[in-house]
Amino acid sequence: MRLTKHKRKTLGGMNMTPMIDIVFLLLIFFITVTQITKINKERMELAKQKGSIDQKPTNLTINITQDGAVVISGREMTVPELIVQVGKELQRVGDDPSLITVSIRADQRGDSSSVNEVVSALENLNIKKVMIAVEVPQE
Amino acid sequence: MKLSSQKRSREKTVELSMTSMIDVVFLLLIFFIATATFVRPERNLDSAIKVKSKGGQSSPMEPVIVEVTQGAGGDFVFKLGSAEIDSQETLTRQLSQFPDKSEGAFVKVSDDAPFRMSAAAIQACKSAGFAAVSYVPE
Repeated sequence: MRLTKHKRKTLGGMNMTPMIDIVFLLLIFFITVTQITKINKERMELAKQKGSIDQKPTNLTINITQDGAVVISGREMTVPELIVQVGKELQRVGDDPSLITVSIRADQRGDSSSVNEVVSALENLNIKKVMIAVEVPQE
Repeated sequence: MKLSSQKRSREKTVELSMTSMIDVVFLLLIFFIATATFVRPERNLDSAIKVKSKGGQSSPMEPVIVEVTQGAGGDFVFKLGSAEIDSQETLTRQLSQFPDKSEGAFVKVSDDAPFRMSAAAIQACKSAGFAAVSYVPE
């Protein structure tokens, strides 16, 4: 009679199920929260203010960097080039300046000279709807 | 003796190989983690900002003008009339005391003024209750 129990060798297999659950959960989270990068928004330090309205889509987003460079859709341009760009946008909406909304995203560390220049250029094109983007401070 | 040619069919279990799937899932996960950027919440200082000519308009009402310019001490300040104000909170308080806000406010900004202060001046006007704020480049 055999008294000792024969122990079967078991492979130390890891249970993968909870890990796959978590990995899938994370994957779905990142897929849903990731938004396609908007190239018209440059990374910059905006003025920390609470603002007055939520952001809405605009016809044109003008980025003004700390050193005063004007950047539209990732391309640095001069004010005359900007005027041409705005002119194209105007043509697209049937030469009606009231249909154009411009958002200015300016770096708060810079001075106001470039903003003034851009605003004056827009004024000459009779564009009145100019918005200034601000960053809502974290509380 | 078994004469039938029928073989005893052994139960076959279909095993799905998870390895390649986990590889792909991990790859995607790492990609999304690496490329994810957390966007800071942005708002606008609103569409009522109008671009006005430097001279301004003649109006029977005295318009409220906030200037962002260099003060007597050399630092940039908010000028409301002859008063020099150095903080946004004080400016908002002072602007709130104006009885008629229907005419709107004008924010005159000199070229060398820090943009941070220009935005603060517009925000102060909006917070004080002025619906229309005009940005006047100087």
